[in-house]
Amino acid sequence: MTAPVLQVKDLKTQFFTDDGVVKAVDGVSFDLHPGETLGIVGESGCGKSVTALSILRLVQEPGRITQGQIIFKGSDIVTMPDDDVRDIRGKDIAMIFQDPLSSLNPVLQVGFQIEEAMEAHQKIPGKIALSRAVQLLKQVRIPAAETRVRDYPHQFSGGMRQRAMIAMGLANKPSILIADEPTTALDVTVQAQILELLRDLNEETRTAIILITHNMGVVAGLCKRVLVMYAGRIVEQGPVDQIFKDPQHPYTWSLLQSIPRLDADRKDRLLSIEGLPPDLIKPPPGCRFHPRCRFRIERCFHDDPALMDVGPDQDAACWVTMRRALATDGEAHA
Amino acid sequence: MPDRPPLLQAEEVVKHFPAGLGASVKAVERVNFEIYPGETVGLVGESGCGKSTLGRLITQLLPVTSGNIFFEGVDLTKLGGEKLRQKRRELQMIFQDPYSSLNPRMTVGDIIAEPLENFGLLRGRAKDKRVQELLKIVGLNPYFNNRYPHEFSGGQRQRIGIARALALRPKLIVADEPISALDVSIQAQIINLMEDLQKEFQLTYLFIAHDLSVVRHISDRVMVMYLGKIVEVADSAEIYRNPRHPYTKALLSAIPIPDPDIQAKRRIVHLSGEIPSPVNPPSGCRFHPRCPIAQVPTPCAEIEPPLEEKARDHRAACHFSEKVPVAV
Repeated sequence: MTAPVLQVKDLKTQFFTDDGVVKAVDGVSFDLHPGETLGIVGESGCGKSVTALSILRLVQEPGRITQGQIIFKGSDIVTMPDDDVRDIRGKDIAMIFQDPLSSLNPVLQVGFQIEEAMEAHQKIPGKIALSRAVQLLKQVRIPAAETRVRDYPHQFSGGMRQRAMIAMGLANKPSILIADEPTTALDVTVQAQILELLRDLNEETRTAIILITHNMGVVAGLCKRVLVMYAGRIVEQGPVDQIFKDPQHPYTWSLLQSIPRLDADRKDRLLSIEGLPPDLIKPPPGCRFHPRCRFRIERCFHDDPALMDVGPDQDAACWVTMRRALATDGEAHA
Repeated sequence: MPDRPPLLQAEEVVKHFPAGLGASVKAVERVNFEIYPGETVGLVGESGCGKSTLGRLITQLLPVTSGNIFFEGVDLTKLGGEKLRQKRRELQMIFQDPYSSLNPRMTVGDIIAEPLENFGLLRGRAKDKRVQELLKIVGLNPYFNNRYPHEFSGGQRQRIGIARALALRPKLIVADEPISALDVSIQAQIINLMEDLQKEFQLTYLFIAHDLSVVRHISDRVMVMYLGKIVEVADSAEIYRNPRHPYTKALLSAIPIPDPDIQAKRRIVHLSGEIPSPVNPPSGCRFHPRCPIAQVPTPCAEIEPPLEEKARDHRAACHFSEKVPVAV
């Protein structure tokens, strides 16, 4: 395997609020390889977006990266001077957000904003910048790009705005594109088109993609590898094929069981995960999922599991794992 | 379809909103359907298709522009004042956003008791008892009645909204995207709760959502809306297996399935262009400019296809419904 383009090592990002320290990201480590498509899934507050923001050092006050390293091209983003991080942002690592309307400036032409993204990192003559902007809009399949380049964001539909954001993200040919819930605000038919576009762009440009989402279906359609996060930690990671077929962490398993599937023929009762995600100021002792876990054993209450090898290239942070849980469950019901 | 009379029947329902300069947004255009007692009807479509407006017309939160809505044989559009108010007890609504649909200055107990007070049904101890009973029914601690909405999570707030809707023992509940604002692990809790309540209280649901997989799970029948029109109605298993309208087909193909093998094999049906403006909808079939199988100009751009029976209990509004390719 090639050397990773990005290495996150034991990252901790905390928010120092009046109520206490929120441990939003609590010891997250992963590698991203060139051209890879990596999904980070989890529910609101699990730390997936804060992980992404930390990579670009965009975490806002009162948040701070308190520990860990983010190694990009041999240097650590966490300790880098501000100017160096600014050089990386939008050039080597670009990011697109959930709501394209609030990410675009409403009083500037879309083309101008794409040009701005290029000019932030290199000097290019206006004419060339314009033709590159048109070319980028074509690349993200905006029809009549030559005239559309002069449109304002309000003249674009939601899907086109997200395409324009992607064009902006790709403007400097980054090696990594971080997409934070890029399709959540869009209708399903538009979502499908944006995901298809990201898939094609990943193949054409070999830009690695980190896709952050709460939707397991979206991960299944785009990503090769997935990290499942819960309460600030990675609870399971591995190839998408493996994790969706044979999830080993009870949280991953429950998430997959709790969503109604379009292709399900029988109307079984949905499995619901009881309770709520924990308070990250004072997370529960032991495994953070144990208060909601139906397979917990005594050890889970006090002993915090680390990620352990549970299958080919698959790790889960669980003392029980689904293999054992379902085996004993079967016995209990027999 | 059951041979009992429908609980609710919409006939040629139209809703236009004024859009200035004499123009109007044609949000709902000549819509006909029935809802039978005890069933769950799903209403799906993308943003702006008119599904929420239709929900509000049914509960008479919005007046119709024309058409009739019969509830147990009584035309709600002809009722006014006190008569309508009394009928409304039987028609309740659950809203999408559990944050903005609960008054932050009222205690949960007062929120749930408000409908009881409005109709002067219960007072004092009896009222408190009923509120606590309702909290228990929706799976909340009955002693939380003195707390305020901000003390609850999104899923718990949605339970409070459901308790409020149940307070008057309604027959029909219109749920407008009741789970879209909730986290995945909480969505299943609310769906299961709604299914349990339906059994316990013989409720009838109109479940409005954009997520066809959720709708397929909870509904007996599904109606698909596009640009103010119902384009297809069928049993929920049937509509998935055998869609007879190209829009339904496209919608189905776009929904991600959490299975990488299946996702790799599926093909998205591409719709060209964007949803047209409901101020000036396309002639003939409203879907024709984006339809992969349309024959233009005739008949698709000229003649509006009626919503008609294509198979048993399966209606679709398409001139070429037999050409819609089968399942995903």
